[in-house]
Amino acid sequence: MLTSVFKKALGLIGLCSLPLLLQAATVYETQADFLSRAFSSSPPDPGVIWLSGERKATVHDLLGHDYPALRLRYWCQTPRSAWVLEEVGKEQPITVGIIVENSYIKNLKVLTYRENRGGEVANAAFTDQFHRASLDENTRLDTTIDGISGATLSVRALTRLANLALYLHGESGCNDGA
Amino acid sequence: MMARKKRPASATRRLHRSLGAGSAVFVIFLVLSGLVINHSNFLGLDQKPVSQGILLDWYGLEKPQSVLSFRVADQWLSFAGSQVFLDEKPVTNLSNGVGAVPAGDILVVAGADELLLLDNSGQLIERQSWEAAPEDPIMSIGLLPDGTVSLKTGQQLWLSDRDFIQWTKADNTSIQPDWAHSEALPENLVQAISLSYRGHGLNFERVLLDLHSGRFFGPIGVLVYDLVALVLGFLAVSGLILWFKSRGNGKRKNGRAKHG
Repeated sequence: MLTSVFKKALGLIGLCSLPLLLQAATVYETQADFLSRAFSSSPPDPGVIWLSGERKATVHDLLGHDYPALRLRYWCQTPRSAWVLEEVGKEQPITVGIIVENSYIKNLKVLTYRENRGGEVANAAFTDQFHRASLDENTRLDTTIDGISGATLSVRALTRLANLALYLHGESGCNDGA
Repeated sequence: MMARKKRPASATRRLHRSLGAGSAVFVIFLVLSGLVINHSNFLGLDQKPVSQGILLDWYGLEKPQSVLSFRVADQWLSFAGSQVFLDEKPVTNLSNGVGAVPAGDILVVAGADELLLLDNSGQLIERQSWEAAPEDPIMSIGLLPDGTVSLKTGQQLWLSDRDFIQWTKADNTSIQPDWAHSEALPENLVQAISLSYRGHGLNFERVLLDLHSGRFFGPIGVLVYDLVALVLGFLAVSGLILWFKSRGNGKRKNGRAKHG
C-alpha cells in the first residue's frame, strides 16, 4: 500500500518535469510544397548522392560530425538543385530546405523546427541572410551570418547546412548538367 | 587588567550566521552541479542516456505499451513506440512502424508515412518521406520472389526500383508479395529494449540541469530553490552591512587609541 502511494507520488513529481522532455514540432512548409516552389513546373526525379570516402570526410569537417545518413536525396534541374537536410540545433533535428543555383543559395527555408527555443531562425528576416551566399576557397560560407540571441545553436546548425548544401551542389555536378 | 566584555552579536549578524550555515549545503551543491553542467558536453553527459530504474521511475518514464518485432535475416527489427531497434540497439525514430524486410545488404523499414533504409549495423542510409501517395498511408511491406520490395497502401501495391529511389504502382494485380509479419521477440531482447526505450530522451545533463534548478523535485523544489536564491541575496546584503559596520568600529577604535 505504502509502496504504491510512494510510486504514485514519484510518478506525479516526475510528470511535472516531463514537459521539459516533450517538444512539439512546428511545420512551416512540407517537403512537397518546398519542391513545388523550388521548381516552378513539377519537380524532377530525385537523384542520390552517397556520403562515402573523401566526401564523407569533408562533410564531417563541415558539420563537425558525420551526417546521420549515408546517402542524400536531391532534386536537380541544371543549374538549380534542391536539398532537404537535417541538423540538430541543441537536442532536436531542424529540417531545412535549401535551393542552390549556380553555386549560390537562392533560398533557405526552415521546413520543420522541433526545438522548444530558438524558433526565430525560421523567420524570413533571418533566413534571407543566406540569399546569394556561396563558398569561399576554404569551402566555407563567404557571407557572415548575424546571430540571434538565445538561438545560437540553431543559427549555427542552419549555417552548417547552408555550407553543406553548397558543397553537395558542387559534388552532384548539377551546376554543369552532370 | 580587566577582561573586555564580549558584546552580544547583533540581530543581523546572528541571522547572517544562521542563514549562511543553513544555505552552505545548497551553495556547495549548486557550485559543484554548475561546474559539471558547464562541462557536460566534454564529459559526454549530454549523450549518456539514463538507464537507472529509480531515475526512470522518478521521471515517470514507462515501459513501451507494446513491442512490434520482425525477423530480418538473422537479426530482429523492433518498433517500441516511435523508436526503432535493431536487436537491442536503438537506431532511429519512426512513427507508426508497419514492418521491415531485408533486401540484400539493406534493411527496408516501413512506417505509415516514412521509409527507412538501414545497413546491417543499423546505420541509417536514408530516410524517405512517403511522397508517392502521401494521402494513403503504408499498410504493409513485403518481398516478391525476385527480391523486389513491395508496399501496400489501401488496395494499391507499390514496387521499388533497384536503388530504392522511386516507387511505382504495380499494374499486375495478381502479384502476391510475402508480407512481413511480426513475431514474438526473445525475452532478453524485450528486457533490453524496454530499458533503452524508457531512457530515450533523458540524459544525465537533463537530470543535472533539473537538480541544479530544483525542477527535479517538482514545483516544490523550484519554490525551495527560489527561497535559497533569496537567502543568498540576503546574505550578500547582510554581509556588506556587517563589513561596513566592522570598518566603522575599527576606525572608531583606532581614533580612541590615538587620542587616548
